[in-house]
Amino acid sequence: MSQPTPATLSRTAPAGDVMIEARAVEKWYPNGYHALRGCDLTVNRGEVVVIMGPSGSGKSTFIRTFNALEDFQKGTITVDGITLSDDLRNIDTIRREVGMVFQQFNLFPHLSVLDNLCLAPVLVRKRPKAEVQEQAHALLKRVGIAEQAEKYPGQLSGGQQQRVAIARALCMEPRILLFDEPTSSLDPEMVREVLEVMQNLAADHITMVVVTHEVKFARQVAHRVVLMAEGEVVEVAEPEQFFTNPSQERSRRFLDQIL
Amino acid sequence: MNTLLRRLRHDLFATPADGLISVVLLAVIAGGASSFLRWAISQARWAVIQANSTLFAVGRYPIDQQWRLWLLTALLAAATGISWGMLRSHPRPDRVGILWPRNDRIAVALLVALSLALPLMLGLSPAVQLRWVSMVAVLVLLRWLAGRFGPQLPASLKRLLPLGLPLLYLVGMVLIAGGLGLVSVSPSEWGGLLLTLLQSSFAILLCFPLGLLLALGRRSELPMLRWGSVLYIEFIRGAPLITLLFLGQNMLGFLLPGGLAPERVWRAAWVLTLFAAAYLAEAVRSGLAAVPRGQLEAARSLGMSMPQAFASVVLPQALRVALPSMVGQFISLLQDTTLLSLIGLMELLGTARTVMANPAFLGHNGEVYFTLAVLFWCCCASLGLGSRALERRLDPAAISRSG
Repeated sequence: MSQPTPATLSRTAPAGDVMIEARAVEKWYPNGYHALRGCDLTVNRGEVVVIMGPSGSGKSTFIRTFNALEDFQKGTITVDGITLSDDLRNIDTIRREVGMVFQQFNLFPHLSVLDNLCLAPVLVRKRPKAEVQEQAHALLKRVGIAEQAEKYPGQLSGGQQQRVAIARALCMEPRILLFDEPTSSLDPEMVREVLEVMQNLAADHITMVVVTHEVKFARQVAHRVVLMAEGEVVEVAEPEQFFTNPSQERSRRFLDQIL
Repeated sequence: MNTLLRRLRHDLFATPADGLISVVLLAVIAGGASSFLRWAISQARWAVIQANSTLFAVGRYPIDQQWRLWLLTALLAAATGISWGMLRSHPRPDRVGILWPRNDRIAVALLVALSLALPLMLGLSPAVQLRWVSMVAVLVLLRWLAGRFGPQLPASLKRLLPLGLPLLYLVGMVLIAGGLGLVSVSPSEWGGLLLTLLQSSFAILLCFPLGLLLALGRRSELPMLRWGSVLYIEFIRGAPLITLLFLGQNMLGFLLPGGLAPERVWRAAWVLTLFAAAYLAEAVRSGLAAVPRGQLEAARSLGMSMPQAFASVVLPQALRVALPSMVGQFISLLQDTTLLSLIGLMELLGTARTVMANPAFLGHNGEVYFTLAVLFWCCCASLGLGSRALERRLDPAAISRSG
């Protein structure tokens, strides 16, 4: 696995194709809590967007609306040209094109690593099993755990499980990958191996939206950094500017707390 | 010998208190065992069992048609042997298979010993003794063959094998009830262990899908479905089985249009099934509750539809969690079949009551009840053993350790 240095990364955000467009998204939880208060975000093809913010700021809720794991009451979200609505067929189509990596991995514990990867492509995309298995082996090699294919998730370390989860999402050949705090439940020594994998994906120009607290990752990999607080998008900026000279007072306070 | 002594000493007499407890318990056990043996050997008259062994086994099933039951037993022995062997020869991918673990060797030894000793003790004719021995021979032979050559079978055939079990059940029903050219034997002539096993297997097989649907219905987002399921489950769980059995005998005739109401035996089987389904639904529900929400989210985020996500991700995990309590339900269902004797069916207990009422065997209730208890214990113990084997195969460790 070759690790790209930040310099080799093309840091100019690819313009043109819009992959995700969220406009004035508002969400209330059933208990009345106003979780998203008019959030806007545009993500271009091949772009890596990192969303940061204090806990409870609605970051996770926001990216979970992109693949309809959370519903929203006002505003519009368009993913890869498909507008999210109550139409269930649209939801299934979008979910097929949007992979998601969770904080808690959410691997299927009753299936081997290989079957975790192959289940959805075979069931959903109706691809021949042998072909999917071949691809799965290649993906496992790419995330550096080729030799664990026959093991069960419970037999792997946290970092390995999260890398399997990334490979599982990739096996569906998604156009967009969403990461919901992918390293937050990992032991510190395992964070790096997961971030390296994500960095390699970014180098391959996969569109990624990442909710994370990893400042170094945001600085080195992101094209743009988004700060959310109290359910609002406070600032969207290029990483260098965001971390050295943020335009908003709220961003400055947040950076003071984490840096 | 020395090591054995040392181990005994370590296990039983490690401290004075341990030693005292061990001595008292040993005395109690020895006393109980010796008085039981005294009863079993010198007082009990086992003739009551010997003379009625056929009655206990199959009730009043016509003698000239009993070959059908022998054929069914042989088929069951074959199926048991094949599935046992296949289970051993197909370990999970991360395990090394052991073709003949020690427990399997003990089980085979026990089976052979029983097939030789039991018919002799029951005073069966040599021809029947031979049949029992050949049943066990079929079982063990196929166990060996499936274990030895099972892995070489083509994959397509291996996938088809499990379909043999429902097929076997249908064949069994035809063999027992008749039809397809066989003389029909009315359900009123079925009895004894045959009827007990038939009732309980019918109820177990059908209550499973029903209970599953009820459990899913209870979690459904459609209010009608949810409240319907809750109402059904709570009503059934609130009524004693015996009331429902009487209700079934009296009411099904009114509820269903003439001719459609099933025969007495089947009516009871349906009541048992509907009763067990409510309890099974609760067991499945607890299993569903144990599967983290993230599992469904992960499946859905990969584009799986709701049915796909449930079938491939949620249910396999939920059912594994629910397995012990489901088998517990099956075991109590098996024991609940004794209630059928109260509505006049000749299952094991019903048969036993007719035998005990026979003047020739007056005063030998102990022997009869003891035999019944042993028979039920054997059935329940094999259910329990099967469930534990299945649990091990579905590996709880892999599931509990996942993050």
